[in-house]
Amino acid sequence: MKDSKALTFSGSVSRRTLMVGAAAGAATLAMPKVLRAADKPTLVTSIRSLSNPYHAVWKTGAEAYAKWAGLEHVTLVSEGNSEKGIADIKAMLAKTNGNMVLNSDPNDTPDARPIVEACAKAGAYVVTQWNKPGDLHPKDFNPNYVSHIEFDGIASGKTIAEILFKAIGGKGGIVALGGLISTTAAIERKKGLDAALAANPDIKLLDFQVANWKSTEAFDLMGNLLTRFGDDIKGIWAANDDMGSGALEALRAENLAGKVPIVGVDGIKTAVDAVRSGEFACTVTSDPFWQGGMGLAIGYNAKIGKFDPAKEPPEHREFYGKAVLISHDNVEEYYKTNVESKPEMDWNDLWGRVTGAIRA
Amino acid sequence: MKSVSDIERTTLMTFLPGRIATMLGGKRWRSLAPLAVLAVLCALITIANPNFIELRNLAAVPLTLAMGLTFIILMGSIDLSVEGTLSVAAMVVVLLAANDSNGNDYGWWAVLAAIASGTVMGLISGLVQTMLRIPSFMATLGMWFIGLGLSVYMLGGSAIRLNDASIRDLALHRFLGLPLAVWVALGAFVFAAIIQYHTRLGRHILAIGGDEDVTKLSGVNVTRVRIAAFALAGFFFGIAGVLAAAQLGQSHAVIGDGRLFAAVTAVVVGGTALTGGEGGVVNTLIGVLIVTVLANGMILLGISPYIQQTVQGLMIIAAVALSLDRVRLKIVK
Repeated sequence: MKDSKALTFSGSVSRRTLMVGAAAGAATLAMPKVLRAADKPTLVTSIRSLSNPYHAVWKTGAEAYAKWAGLEHVTLVSEGNSEKGIADIKAMLAKTNGNMVLNSDPNDTPDARPIVEACAKAGAYVVTQWNKPGDLHPKDFNPNYVSHIEFDGIASGKTIAEILFKAIGGKGGIVALGGLISTTAAIERKKGLDAALAANPDIKLLDFQVANWKSTEAFDLMGNLLTRFGDDIKGIWAANDDMGSGALEALRAENLAGKVPIVGVDGIKTAVDAVRSGEFACTVTSDPFWQGGMGLAIGYNAKIGKFDPAKEPPEHREFYGKAVLISHDNVEEYYKTNVESKPEMDWNDLWGRVTGAIRA
Repeated sequence: MKSVSDIERTTLMTFLPGRIATMLGGKRWRSLAPLAVLAVLCALITIANPNFIELRNLAAVPLTLAMGLTFIILMGSIDLSVEGTLSVAAMVVVLLAANDSNGNDYGWWAVLAAIASGTVMGLISGLVQTMLRIPSFMATLGMWFIGLGLSVYMLGGSAIRLNDASIRDLALHRFLGLPLAVWVALGAFVFAAIIQYHTRLGRHILAIGGDEDVTKLSGVNVTRVRIAAFALAGFFFGIAGVLAAAQLGQSHAVIGDGRLFAAVTAVVVGGTALTGGEGGVVNTLIGVLIVTVLANGMILLGISPYIQQTVQGLMIIAAVALSLDRVRLKIVK
């Protein structure tokens, strides 16, 4: 009965919906004109989500650069959905008529190709970070595909492992928490750990477990590892800070916080605080603030002709950025310049953090 | 239908051989299957690693979540808003108690507010489902994203620390060797059991799951029961949110990641039917223990992380196959 009544009235509702729809349509039609009116290119940041601290800082860096350069800035969020990430970028390309600079952290490795091809076709300039297929190269898309930036996961994994080993006096058992098994970062950081272990035979890896980058999973895992190994655990290696902080809270529940050192990667605020209080031995960060701002800066400078991508050396087209180590020695200074205030960055120093070309 | 077969069984049970046959092949044996699976798992793992018996392995958050979800599944509905509601509650407690982002310090009022916000989320799910006539699957899917979006917005995408020492004590302080969070979860279980077995609401929920039309014809206000059940589920998710924030000492929007699937698995493995009308909170308690013991056990046994998920999948299928009499099912969808 109720349903049939609803059906009868459905016609009158749809007329109102039509009016609203028409108004919305008119508004959308007016929008591209506003955007097109600007001569200056639009800066576009494409990232995975705003719900993780890493990409939140990335966005702050992008906004800081846009403000410094006096340009419009738009952030696109893929929410971990590759289709959406690519579609949003194509929509932006259409809106701006290709007059844009894109700094993208592609959601997944294969995504980089359609993104780069769409940008090259529309005449936009693009910088990718972290993820791209091995056979996709900036030099094949001159001048639109300006650069690709990564951070050497093997070096990060090894550096933090060595600092952890030193913190526990060069011998004893450790446990390791790895990231999502199939991701490049997880594989490389573990390789770095393995290399450090091979060089330090007195350190024993009690167990390697996977907590999928998440603090909640690391918390549960650590409780179990403590049950299994108890006091044999002298240190904890985590492939990112979020897992490290989950492990830290599990230690705290057993009154072990600060007694068992933890190391991680990313430099999120929780980890920096923990380094200050001595509960983390160190963390290393790719500096998302720099990634967010400098990716746009490199693309924009190529776009306005400050340099010609085709004439740049290979180590400016595909390179490892310099990671920043935050340990007991420099944490106070880092805290003052990066956490309490927004970092001051020299946005003209495009290649200052190049450490070398990416391994083939 | 059911009562006829029950009469048949009673006549069978008047003599002993019949009773044994019923015990072995009948419903009673089936309902004990999850418990048997749990016992076998515990025994195996304890033999391999005696440390296992230590009690810190009890899972407070999944137990509390699964309690709420049980009522929904008993009705034959589903609540997908688990992660969204949990993250809203965790967000509320962290932002209102002492934290490193704003100046609030409302202490335990923050906890009450968090539980209330969880309940309200559930209430809205219930209202959307019954008033707008939207299936629970879609209504709660919507609430999931609304909740998640709300906490991303409020937390600004970053992790915010919980500095209130008395709330953190839920995870850090121990009573009789167990963290307070575990006692809270056990309290939630007792509360859920009372509702299910000793209140009208509990009976009506079970009746709706059994046959909604008959329940309606019997004069039960189905709409009101459904709304109440969703609010009740939200209440439990709210408690779980507070516990999760207390354990991690922080809140970020994705604090609930992966919790929905774990909770549904626990409820179903315990023997509550997804079609509703069968099972209950005691089943869920066993289900949560099976899932937790399994996950913990694989780590304690040192099973490689690369195959853990596969083992978990196999065990889940095995547990469900054992716990229900599949032969008697007319339709499997």
